[in-house]
Parts: sequence; structure tokens; C-alpha cells
Amino acid sequence: MIEEPYRWVEAIANRREYIEAQLAPGSPIAAVGYRDGILFLTVGQTRQKLFEIYDRIAMGAIGHPGDIERLRMAAIELASTEGFTRSAADVSLRRLVHYSLSPVMKSAFEQVYGAPYLARMLFAEVGESPNEDLFLRVEYDGEIATNGATYAQARQDFAVLSGTRQSRELMEAFLKSQHAPDASFELALNSALDAWSIGHISLQASDANGQPDQAAVLKHRQEQLAIRGIEAAVLERDASRAIRYRSLSDTELRSLIHE
Amino acid sequence: MERSSVAFDQNLSGAADFPALLRRKGLLASVAIPPMPQAGIPQKTWQPTEATTILAFKFSGGVLVAGDRRATAGNTVVYDRADKVLEIDRQSIMAIAGVPATAWEMARVLEHSFQYFRRTQLQEMSVDGKVRALSKLLRDNFGFVMQGVGVVVPIFATYDSHPKPEARLYFYDAMGAQFEAADYAATGSGSPAVRGILYYENNWGKKPLHKLSEEEAVSVALRALDTAAESDTSTGGVDRGGKIYPIIKIVSREGITTLPESKIAAVFKETVA
Repeated sequence: MIEEPYRWVEAIANRREYIEAQLAPGSPIAAVGYRDGILFLTVGQTRQKLFEIYDRIAMGAIGHPGDIERLRMAAIELASTEGFTRSAADVSLRRLVHYSLSPVMKSAFEQVYGAPYLARMLFAEVGESPNEDLFLRVEYDGEIATNGATYAQARQDFAVLSGTRQSRELMEAFLKSQHAPDASFELALNSALDAWSIGHISLQASDANGQPDQAAVLKHRQEQLAIRGIEAAVLERDASRAIRYRSLSDTELRSLIHE
Repeated sequence: MERSSVAFDQNLSGAADFPALLRRKGLLASVAIPPMPQAGIPQKTWQPTEATTILAFKFSGGVLVAGDRRATAGNTVVYDRADKVLEIDRQSIMAIAGVPATAWEMARVLEHSFQYFRRTQLQEMSVDGKVRALSKLLRDNFGFVMQGVGVVVPIFATYDSHPKPEARLYFYDAMGAQFEAADYAATGSGSPAVRGILYYENNWGKKPLHKLSEEEAVSVALRALDTAAESDTSTGGVDRGGKIYPIIKIVSREGITTLPESKIAAVFKETVA
């Protein structure tokens, strides 16, 4: 196959198509920065999708549970050994993703005789101020994306992940226009939930393009919350504690949702 | 063609063992084998050199853990602001008597082990698991102890919510045996005096230890450390001239509180000095 470059390109294209189809039904995840931290949110039924990686780093993922587990373990191992040998302040999400996860995922994706990682991940690292928050999305092929932030100008206020590109772009457009980085927790929760609903509507009706109207979002949200649970976690900005990750229960969030 | 094996070596305890992970990566010294006694070569006998005093007892507000601040090397005082009462997680304290380098490394391994377990296994390690983890570190270290370096004899205090909410207190020997203390524990070179005081207070004092208020408990701890320092040169006690007070921490249902120096100074002035 190496002597036949065309077949390699074809194999990669097939593989990409296959993985995209596998990931397509994945329920969206939104991570939004707010005044006191970063909120991760998704609405789901069965598997846990949000995880603590290290003191200031959290991860959300969709894909095959076995692959997510392997990547999660790798991330925790790398962060923990770095934090142990040096210090917690030396554990950096940028290094973890750029130098460790991405190259491995790219190799697995391109070695067409082996299995690729069937997973799409969203990472966030909470900073001392919203300016220093970092959000990174890592694709199954090792591609790293941010929502418009550049290396020189890292300011981001949110990041999202979804099964399809269209769904993700609709969520990003919504958060770009509706979400303020200095919002309170309650406002952040409601914009994250609306963003999830917009992404989820798009996954269910792939022919519809463009933002659904507010009434449709509210209706969809109510229908979904009646049958599913909210999974959420925060990375707190408060520096008095080393460990910033805290998972939130469905019941404590329901009372804060605007009807 | 050789078939690749699909192994189940991950995810149950094996993967969650942080010291094993560190050893695999070469980041932690491997387990030392105790030297075999050989005929004709004089045996190097192990000297217990836990030169310090730490104590812990249960009182009405949880467990109080106190340690003096002196670090010694032989007859020399090297440091008079050592912190031997270390927070391992939100509800656990390890207080150390012994060689600081080994003890602090152990505390660091332990702290990371608990976090690593919670993150990978998505549940908190049980109190029994935590107590056992420290025991294993001590056992792994015993080879070094027999070679004459690195003896550590810690106290471990934590708050357990299962099966019923209560403070738990453990002490260890250098080989890693763990003992749960009903009321109090003390280790280090000054501990015989402290053990005497705590036994006396618990049986014939105004109140048994577990009924003491926070202020009364602090007072007992300060008096005990000061008594230990009276005869043990390796124990700092309370430095009246330099105004250096012992470290006192309390483990309760709410987590760990470090008593501010001003509070300790006030109790000291009123009831000890």
C-alpha cells in the first residue's frame, strides 16, 4: 500500500467517512467560561461524558467508550506524573494536547492497518482570569481546533463539541452572539443549555440549517430535560484550593434553569 | 504471524496504583531489598532515629494533630520551622517522625496516589484503601531502613463517612504495620513522655480526651509537646524566645483546619506559659 499512494489516500478518506458516521449521533457538549470559572455541560442518558484530568484541567468526549477511556487514562497519567515530578503549576493543557495526545492520535489515524481512536474531545484549563482560560478541541485525527483563537491572541470564552460540523457551528454562532465571558454562573448555565439544545436540534433534523428560533429552542430543551439528565461540572477559578474540578448534580442545577 | 494479545491488565487496581506507575516510568526509587546478614561481617544495627515528637488525639471536634518544628541531624539543630504535619487531601493528614527526605517524598506520593485513584477510577479511595496505601509505602521503604537510612514512622488521621461519619486515627511502625488508635497516638523520640501525659489525661484528667473542647485540646497538645521537649533534645516544643509554636491541624467532617499561630499563642499564654 505504501507503493500505491493513491490507495493510501483512499483508505484515509474511507476511514474519515466511517469515523464521522460513528461520531454523528454524539450528544453535544458545551464548555463556557464565566466569571468564577468554566462550566462543562451536556444532557445525556447513560454514559458519563465529563471527566477530571488534573487540578485545573477537565475533559468532555464523545465516541467509543473504550477509546475515550484509553485517551482519558493517557491524559491523566501524563498530567499526574508531570505534576508529581515537577509541580501542579507545570502541568499545561497546551503541552499535554500539542505534544502528547495529538501526535499519537494522528499516528493511529494514519496507520491504516491499525485501529484509529474513535473519539472527539474537548479540553479546558481554567486560568487566574478569564483571559487565561484555554479551550482546545481534539479530533480523532489529532487535529487541534480552537474557536477562532490564534496562538498570539488566545482569548476564548467558550468551546463546543458535537457529532456533526453543522451542529457545532450553530452552537458556536449562538454562543458567540449570546454569551458574555463575565456572566454569572446562572447565565452561563442557561446559555450552555441553550447551546446544547441548538446543537441537538441540528443533529436530529440534519436538513434544517440556520438557527432555530427561541421558542423552538425552549420547547426542545423542555422536552429533552423531561426525559434526560443534565451532566455538568465546573473548574473553579478560586485559587484557594488546588483542585478546581467539581461535578454538579442534576438536582442542584434544575432550580437555576430559566423557564 | 504472531497474534497480538488482548490483555486485561488495566483498570482494576493495577492501573490505579500510582507508585507502580511512577516506578514504571523510573520516577520513584525501586523497592530496596534488606541486606542479608553475612558471617564475618559485623551487622549494622538499625538505630531508631525518629528525632521529633508528633501526637494526635480525638476530641469533641474531630482529630487534633500536632507536631513540633525542630529538625535535627545528630546533635545539630538544622531547622526550627519544619512542618511535619502534612495535608494529604481534603480530609487526611499525615504527620511524620523520621527522615524528612523520605517522609516528604512519601507524603507527596500518597497525595498524588489518592488524586490519581479518584481521577482514573471515578470514585474516592476508601479510608481502608488510603491507610493501606501508606502501609505499602512504608513496607517498600523497609529495605532502606535496614540499610540505615530513611526510617519513617507516621501517624495518619482522616475523616470517614462510611459506614458512619467519624474521625479515624492510625499509627504505624517502620515496617508498615498499621494500628488504629482508639483515643490517641504519638510517635518520635519524645513520644514516651507524650504517651504518658495523654494516658493520664484520658483516664484521670478533668475530662476524657474525646470530650475536650477545641481550646482545651490545644492546651493539652501544647503542654504535652512542651513536656517532651523538656527531656528530649530533638523536640522543639514551644520556642518562647523565638515565638515559634507547634503546627496544629484539626480534621473534622468539614475538612482540615490549620490553627492560626495567633490562636495557638493565645492558648499558650493563658494555659501553658
